Amino acid sequence: MPAAQGGIALGEFASGWARADHVPLMRTLKTSEAAALLNVSPNTLRAWERRFGYPKPRRTTGRHRLYTHGEVTALRDALRQGLSISTAVSRAREALSANTDTLVGALAGFELDRADGAMESALALRSLERSIEEVLLPSLDELGERFGTDSAPWAFAARWADGWLRRAQRLAPPPVRRLAVLVGDATRNELDPDALATRAFELFCGRSGAPALALPIGGLAGLSDIVASLSPDAVVIAGGHDSDEAVAQWTYRVRATAGPLPVVLFRRSMLSASIGAAGGQVLGEAPFGAHRRLLALVGGRLPELRDDASLAMGDHDDERREAEA
Amino acid sequence: MRPPRALRSVPLDERGVALVSFCGHCGTRPEPSALAAQPSRVCGHCGLGLVLHAGGDVAPRRDQPFLVVDATLSVCAVSAAAEELLGIDETQAVNKHIADFLVPADANAPSAEHLLTLLIEVAGGSGEPRTTVVRPRHEFGVRFRARIGSCGSPQAALLVLI
Repeated sequence: MPAAQGGIALGEFASGWARADHVPLMRTLKTSEAAALLNVSPNTLRAWERRFGYPKPRRTTGRHRLYTHGEVTALRDALRQGLSISTAVSRAREALSANTDTLVGALAGFELDRADGAMESALALRSLERSIEEVLLPSLDELGERFGTDSAPWAFAARWADGWLRRAQRLAPPPVRRLAVLVGDATRNELDPDALATRAFELFCGRSGAPALALPIGGLAGLSDIVASLSPDAVVIAGGHDSDEAVAQWTYRVRATAGPLPVVLFRRSMLSASIGAAGGQVLGEAPFGAHRRLLALVGGRLPELRDDASLAMGDHDDERREAEA
Repeated sequence: MRPPRALRSVPLDERGVALVSFCGHCGTRPEPSALAAQPSRVCGHCGLGLVLHAGGDVAPRRDQPFLVVDATLSVCAVSAAAEELLGIDETQAVNKHIADFLVPADANAPSAEHLLTLLIEVAGGSGEPRTTVVRPRHEFGVRFRARIGSCGSPQAALLVLI
């Protein structure tokens, strides 16, 4: 677990994705949700907490329990093969700590082979999506916390992670949906922490059959040709490095070619009011949840999104053109 | 008027003995209808054990102390009654060697009767249920007859203290 997660203030959310400042990663479950995932009653879950100390929930300011999704799913998997709750708890604890610790240790020691091995081990216990969200990204977060994201160890780890994600992307199955996603890459470069989440997001889209093409926000020349060729169903602005102005210009160019596409934001806060026309709905911070929400959006079954993020570009298109004129 | 009794299939083990389900913590034998209603293997009675299966001639009765040991002789489960009888805590005992808690009462017994040999055989899936005599480690003068048979899943040895 990233070190900074220990200081999360839990007051402002119920279940969903726990986030502290700049530390977005931990998915949480309410007692009823965790109990449903494990097919037990909430009372049983509380009895396990008393007897085994696992899963260990955090508390909201209202004293409600919030369970870590990773802990609950690790226990669920271990229960399927266990002879007792104790052994399942023991196995779940090991499974959770081993891969993350190994990966952090390998990357901190600049051992690429061992880092690859840690991910292989993680994949033996989890799906690719969970391995990325529960092992790879938290490990990188921990390294970022430990060394800083402007350090050489971070650069080493981020480059390895970027390469690992790209390799996984090449192994994604061929697209089966008639959907295409255009990602406006507003991250600084491959060393930007948001860039790794964006790679993971692209990977998840590709694996679910909706290929995502990432293009830099700064590249306007020839953009119309690519957009016309790709015919995207949705545009995702990923990352918070590039300015709102640059994002607005890029988005306007895309929409001028492809028409009024839905524009959603990933790992980027709402755009400023002056160019809010380019802003859209905000996907979650975690890549897997974000990709699920995007598919729901494109498929017309949008689950609840943040109310404050309900701007659609079409509503502001005319205002924007007037402003630009 | 009493409702007609319905026939139901009874699973048998490889020896042809009817399999019995029981909780690995409290030893309660759940009703088949309760098993079907509970999608997880967690005991609906105590919530602290997983439902295991063993032949009817091996399975413990409720509140009978027992332990579950895997083929590496690691303790996998300790029933509530065994916790009380042996003065150990399941959460501390799991993954430890069975010899840390129980040893053969007769150190001169032939090797085939040796507790550990029996456990390995049974946990590996071979061997009829057997009975031997054990004692708690570091305690003399206290003996228990132990019934050892196969249980699962996954396959392991069930040691019932009788």
